[in-house]
Amino acid sequence: MLSASTEAAEAVFTSGWFLDHVWIVPIIPAVAFALIIFFGKRLPMKGSELGIISMLATLAMSAAAAYQWIDRVEAVDKEVFVPPVIKAWTWWSSDGFSFGIGQHIDGLALIVLCVVAFISTLVQIYSVEYLHGDRRYTHFFASLTLFSAGMMNMVIAENMLQLILGWEIMGLCSFMLIGHWWEDGANSRAALKAFFTTRTGDIGLLVGTSVLFFAANEWTQKTLGISGFTIRGLSAWALSGEPSSTAITVGAVALFIACIGKSGQFPLHTWLPDAMAGPTPVSSLLHSSTMVVAGVFLVARLYPVFFEGMNILGTNVNFIVVIGGITIVIAAALAFVQNDIKKVLAYSTVSQLGYMMMGLGAGAWLPAVFHIFTHAFFKACLFLGAGSISHSASHHSFDMKKDMGGLRKYMPITFITWIVSTLALCGVFPFSGFFSKDEIIDNVGHNGYNLFMIVGLVGAFLTAAYMTRATYLTFFGTPRGASAGEHHDDAHGSHDTHATHDDHDHDAHAHDAHGHDDHSSHGASHGPRESGKLITAPLIILAVLAIGSGFLNATPFGEKWEKLKVWVEPRAEVVDVTSVALVAHGGPGEVRVLPAAEESEEGHHSSPCGSETPKDGVCVAPQLNHAKFKWSKAALSLIIVFAGILISWFLSMQLYERKNKALVGLTKRNKLLGAGYNLLANKYYLDALYENVIVKAIAYPISRGAYWINQKVLDGAVNGAGIVARVSAGWVYRNIDQRVVDGAVNSSGAAAQGAGSALRPVQSGKVNQYGALLFGAAAIGALVLVIINT
Amino acid sequence: MVAESDWVNPTIDYHALAPEIVLAAGIVVVLLVDLFTSEANKWLVAPLASFSLLGAFIPVVTLALSDNTMRELFDGRYVVDEFSLVIKGLFILAGYVVVLISTDYLREGDYYQGEYWFLVLTSILGMVMMASSRDLVSIFVALEFLSIPAYMLAAWRKRDVKSNEAGVKYYLLGVFASAIMLYGMSLLYGIADSTLLTEIGETLSDEMTSIRALAVLFVIIGFAFKVSAVPFHTWAPDTYEGAPTPVTAFLSVASKAAGFVALVTVLYVAFPYASDVWQPVIWILSALTMTVGNVLALRQTNIVRMLAYSSISQGGFILMPLAVAGEGTVGQSALRAVVVYLMLYAATNLGVFAIVIAVARKTRSGEISSYGGLFSYAPGLAALMTIFMASLAGIPPLGGWFGKFAAFQAVLSAETNWGYAIAVIGAVNSVVAFGYYGNVLREIWMRPAPDGDTAPVVIQPAIAVALGITALATLVLGTLPGIVSHFGDLASLSSAFGG
Amino acid sequence: MELLRDNNWVLTIGTFLPMVGVLIMLFIPKADEVAHKAVALATAVATLAVGVWTLVLFDYGQAEKLQFVADAEWISIIKSSYLIGLDGISLPMYFLSMVVTVLVMIYSWDHIPNPGNPKAFLILMLILQTGMAGTFIAQDLVLFFVFFEVVLLPMYFMIGVWGGEQRQYASLKFFLYTMFGSALMLVAFLALFFKTGAESFAIPYLVENGASIARNTQIWIFAGMFIGFAVKVPMFPFHTWLPDAHTQAPTQGSVILAAILLKLGTYGFIRIAIPVLPEAAKEWAPWIGLLAVIGIIYGALGCLAQTDMKRLIAFSSVAHMGFVMLGISTLTPFGFNAALFGMVAHGLITGMLFFVAGSVKERYHTLEIKRLSGMLKQVPRLGWIMGFCAMASLGLPGLAGFWGEFPAILSAYSPAEGLPEETFRTFMVIAAIGTVFAAGYLLWLYQRTAFGEPSAEFSGHDHGHGDGHDDIHDVTKFEWIAWTPLLISIVVFGVYPQLMFDVLDPAVKATLAVFGG
Repeated sequence: MLSASTEAAEAVFTSGWFLDHVWIVPIIPAVAFALIIFFGKRLPMKGSELGIISMLATLAMSAAAAYQWIDRVEAVDKEVFVPPVIKAWTWWSSDGFSFGIGQHIDGLALIVLCVVAFISTLVQIYSVEYLHGDRRYTHFFASLTLFSAGMMNMVIAENMLQLILGWEIMGLCSFMLIGHWWEDGANSRAALKAFFTTRTGDIGLLVGTSVLFFAANEWTQKTLGISGFTIRGLSAWALSGEPSSTAITVGAVALFIACIGKSGQFPLHTWLPDAMAGPTPVSSLLHSSTMVVAGVFLVARLYPVFFEGMNILGTNVNFIVVIGGITIVIAAALAFVQNDIKKVLAYSTVSQLGYMMMGLGAGAWLPAVFHIFTHAFFKACLFLGAGSISHSASHHSFDMKKDMGGLRKYMPITFITWIVSTLALCGVFPFSGFFSKDEIIDNVGHNGYNLFMIVGLVGAFLTAAYMTRATYLTFFGTPRGASAGEHHDDAHGSHDTHATHDDHDHDAHAHDAHGHDDHSSHGASHGPRESGKLITAPLIILAVLAIGSGFLNATPFGEKWEKLKVWVEPRAEVVDVTSVALVAHGGPGEVRVLPAAEESEEGHHSSPCGSETPKDGVCVAPQLNHAKFKWSKAALSLIIVFAGILISWFLSMQLYERKNKALVGLTKRNKLLGAGYNLLANKYYLDALYENVIVKAIAYPISRGAYWINQKVLDGAVNGAGIVARVSAGWVYRNIDQRVVDGAVNSSGAAAQGAGSALRPVQSGKVNQYGALLFGAAAIGALVLVIINT
Repeated sequence: MVAESDWVNPTIDYHALAPEIVLAAGIVVVLLVDLFTSEANKWLVAPLASFSLLGAFIPVVTLALSDNTMRELFDGRYVVDEFSLVIKGLFILAGYVVVLISTDYLREGDYYQGEYWFLVLTSILGMVMMASSRDLVSIFVALEFLSIPAYMLAAWRKRDVKSNEAGVKYYLLGVFASAIMLYGMSLLYGIADSTLLTEIGETLSDEMTSIRALAVLFVIIGFAFKVSAVPFHTWAPDTYEGAPTPVTAFLSVASKAAGFVALVTVLYVAFPYASDVWQPVIWILSALTMTVGNVLALRQTNIVRMLAYSSISQGGFILMPLAVAGEGTVGQSALRAVVVYLMLYAATNLGVFAIVIAVARKTRSGEISSYGGLFSYAPGLAALMTIFMASLAGIPPLGGWFGKFAAFQAVLSAETNWGYAIAVIGAVNSVVAFGYYGNVLREIWMRPAPDGDTAPVVIQPAIAVALGITALATLVLGTLPGIVSHFGDLASLSSAFGG
Repeated sequence: MELLRDNNWVLTIGTFLPMVGVLIMLFIPKADEVAHKAVALATAVATLAVGVWTLVLFDYGQAEKLQFVADAEWISIIKSSYLIGLDGISLPMYFLSMVVTVLVMIYSWDHIPNPGNPKAFLILMLILQTGMAGTFIAQDLVLFFVFFEVVLLPMYFMIGVWGGEQRQYASLKFFLYTMFGSALMLVAFLALFFKTGAESFAIPYLVENGASIARNTQIWIFAGMFIGFAVKVPMFPFHTWLPDAHTQAPTQGSVILAAILLKLGTYGFIRIAIPVLPEAAKEWAPWIGLLAVIGIIYGALGCLAQTDMKRLIAFSSVAHMGFVMLGISTLTPFGFNAALFGMVAHGLITGMLFFVAGSVKERYHTLEIKRLSGMLKQVPRLGWIMGFCAMASLGLPGLAGFWGEFPAILSAYSPAEGLPEETFRTFMVIAAIGTVFAAGYLLWLYQRTAFGEPSAEFSGHDHGHGDGHDDIHDVTKFEWIAWTPLLISIVVFGVYPQLMFDVLDPAVKATLAVFGG
């Protein structure tokens, strides 16, 4: 980049129709949603076709846009800052400022957009068979489609408010979909819990956005002429050296709290496993591959803010990396005590999200984003696999111990795809997980977060172990329960709750009009067998990607394989204000790069972005550098992974197949292990804390107390005033007005008859009293006046 | 004390006196017709009475239209100016409405009719005179003129012990009050050596002694009785309840108004310079009156008695502006407030009594609870009653609100702490007042008819006319107060305050 | 302040047209119920047509100026005149009042509450309409006061006659509360009048001269107005009339109460109290803000404690108006815009919720949350609508509620010059927490009533006691007609808020010019 380092360079960027019109993408499913809601039921396929068509359309559009973006990026030199394609229209205005809605399209937006469109498409296809005959089939597809609209809108968001819009719509859909089978109280409670927990995190989103807006708006308006909500404005502001450390830190922390809620990070991870109450496609789409990465995405999206606010790379520890690290381990540990296959996967999701957070927290931006990408495929594949099992083999049970085992013979496709994805998840070379996860661990260490590199390795070990356990219980050993063809209802009561919900639901459907005819579709016996095409096809596609996607950024094979680094990672360049402002307004995107760069020792281009205040220009991304890939390090982590697999395999054999006396019931015998087991079984008692302590306290004693105050104190005062008035009036009336100096007899009589006393026959006495009062008053008045006036 | 020798025949402006003359003539005619007609034709009397009232109203109008708006007779002892004309008009029309609501009541109660009309007309004549009196003597004469017939009217249902009680109480206490007032007047005469209000006013302009203060106080107390201000109100509830309802209407509107007119006249013409004596007195009276009246009205179960206390507290509101009338230019707006308030109050209160009479004809009860379900079987009456009650409570856009508004405006225009204080007291009271007005409305709208008797109420034409007049006045004056508000600018009276 | 006087007939007609309907109805015999409904509905529609015409005539380019100004002599003696006008602040509420009336009329077509008598019911509603519309166009304090009071009696009777079991207590409470407030408010108005030289009651005039009043005097006068308006809003701790009134009122009454009447108070703050008395406003703002956030949390807690659906919605109003007042208390254009948007949004959403509650009551004959469940299964459309409203009410972005809530929170971060920043930032956080509570009580309500299986009592399988489930049917034709406009506008304003902000912003900036910017 010598030219850049000598004098300012002009660069013109290609664009394209799709790239300029990405903003249409979220609108397609939004419209589809409306159509499905209003006309879905009347369509031949009950509206699912609309959903799938819209998904295919979005997929096509985002793919095309991605293609054009790649052109745009590769047209210029590797180090040149490539401006995002931004469009904004006035959405609302206040105090004379106008706030936009539109698109902010760059590598990050596009890669996530493509993943979302892709997975959504597959999941919807999968659902056509999986939810066949469900009572709210149409509503299900409507919600799925709306969800995609929300997510896509968030991904392309031009500013924070648009992002919040998408963010909350996803929350809503997650509520609707988790509670899809709301006849059962447990499902609706899980839905409530999910929405409520994320909503709690959203306090941070609102506060953080507000704080950042007011901190940044003046600067952004002055310098760039855009509002303090815009992604672009905030990024530039964060790196401008302008912000006061408190403002940006508070803002960043607040926003990160929202991310904790949404991405199920410790300590707000408890909702995610419960969310598995939803239908499996939902778990696969929302609660593994897309929605839950929203938090991670937000951190990646506003990376400059977090970079400055959390002082990433400045110290060896920060909020994000800590939370990420803790999450990896505690979630992985929880995965060991689950019997519900979906819960195992849920906790594994939580722990993988932990990896992404840790990566971002440690300055490994690209690897984290890369992990979003790869994780989406193999985790979706695993969930759909689990769904396939419960759909066709275990009769809607997800309980590995009760209803599975030895399934590899019955459902080969599911088995193979599962194995592939598992290896990917464990990070075995050359599966995709390896490239992304290993790169995170590698860079975390490289950036000086050694402690967390170890955490990452431990996590890798645990991951390998619990996945092996799950795999063993599901596909190896001898078939149990429903998988062994037993009639389902025998195991009814003893089922893990979610399994029973599903089951109950389907039985319930058998009764009603659009009854679920899975019994017949299962053939005579309930024995396990492979699922239908619509289910296996997505599995296969995803499995292929679980292998292939890793090679998009395969560092081991050198520079030319690091595609995503070129396409996705924003270049940290000091560019002059006018060009950024210009780009921000969606102009052609000419950018003048300012001379600031010199070569760093690692041969990496390094700019002052993030490390110091850029002179007469702005940055929109901090300068990050990447660890050189070393086989030695990779080998280490691979060894750890294999160790995990083997140990776990051995133990599982002993425990579940051989029923080894030494191991079975060990937790009962050994105090320490027992305590540990209970701790895990109770999810570290966090749920107890939230639900039984905090929520119950607010919902019952506190609110009751407040209400009591309302009724007794505030209202009491009002009513009291009224009563006092009436009573005193009565008293005055009876005892003073009606009888000035009369005898006790009459007064008691009057008291008895209350106000009616006056209706009694004439009392000659009264006139005297009245007269006395009249003269008395006159006399007193006179006396007073005389005293005053003399 | 005028010697024979220097007696000069006063020049009399007969146009100015026309209303009084017409009324006097009417009185005579009514009396004669009643004497010399058979029972069968007694009904003639009522129309005659109303005609004489309408007849008396004509000269009032002509006087108002004539360009000579300031006619002084008898050396300014009897003045016909805008103020007095407005007030006379008010009295005559109020009297007319009273006649309307009395007609059927009397016929059905078979009382002596002729005498009744005679007394009513006489009392009205007294009031009409009161409006013009500018001299202690003429004021006192007018006062007795309007009071003594009222005493008899109160006791009209001679067979009814409560009616007698009412009459007696009213009479005795009235006499006591007159006594006190006379004492005050005699003191005044002693001080000023004149009974002419203007001259008294000049005398009082120099330094205030305790004896003068006493004189002022006693006169005020005399009128305080007439307007039934607390603590001189004790007669009112018993009398109102005991007297025949039309008479109660008459007392609570016309004679109360007369009392206020006299009070205003004296305060403005005779005591302008004694304001620091009477302002505190009135302030206390006003505060007491509206508060006590309200609080006691809350407890009433008999509607007439409730209305008695309500009219007491209304009196407090009318007194309110006078409590600061001495301050700078407040006199002007205070006077306006009083006049406007009297008009609106008269219209509304007469309407209420008209309904009370109409309903009592059916229910034969004075209990508020007997109004239950009125809305279901007599929606028209219910709506009208709602209008009147809301007007008394001072809820826009019904007449009463402007009276209260004007009163508040007057006291606040003083911009003194006393003014603000009484304004706040008034504000609170106006809320409390809804307690009992609303109670009636609640009975009417929200309670079932007692013993499910939902036979419709028959309304005689006379009552209907009365209701029409009063309701119309209440609504129109409420939405367009501009019509009457300028009746309040009466330069002549308030000139003493340089207003 | 420049006044635009063209077409100044349009407001007068729009305001008093309902009275024509009243006159006509007076001469139709009580028994002829259909005729009454028809006349009333026709009148309301005609009024709305005038309202639409007003929207057309309105010059959006000059939203900050008073338009259609008419200035006729009224009570010259007290220097009060019939001065009416409309600007960007009044326009939305003015129009909303007309819309709501029409919808309520439609709803009333087959929902005349006990004890029937549509004649009286609809006449009261028309009078109410005049009062509401008039309050929003009055530019003269006395005129404002008159209209402000006109709405009292009709609502009093609506609650007291057509209400629930506790109706008499509730109606009297409502009345006395409001009257107490307005009495002091009147005193404050008069004091203001004299302190500004007893020249005029015209609000524009007072805005110009109010600032000259001595600071302490301002504070006292503001106190009077504060009580008057705060009772109406209602702000904590003057809110206790609201739950009773709402719970006891007939559906139509609750809707109008929530949609319009509560806004009279906030409107009063924005239109009168704050612009006229800037000094005092600054002094009071932190306290208003404090009461506002207390209201937010407190109202939410109140909701959580409720066992009755309608009462819960009523309490949620306390919380929502808390957000509105928080926006107002910042004294910034941001806050005012938020508040005004919040007023409309709350009107649409809570009004809609009360409609739903009314229909639930009509079908199930109870609003006991415990007894209701599985509405989604039994009356799916009603259940969906309810869910939609709940989501809108808890401030879901993309629906109207969000634009009243978030900007209000936002504005609290940087209040106007001279207000304590830390205090308001604390308020901001508390308010943000309030949003979670909102999600809590609304979703909890929804989960308990809409989800799950219909309770045996209503499911219709038990022929034991046949009451209740026989008339449990889904949304009816009239309900659809009455509700669709609300539902649509909730979405429209949520998706494209600029529709309203565009009109509000200039007017708000003009109003706050008294603060020097």
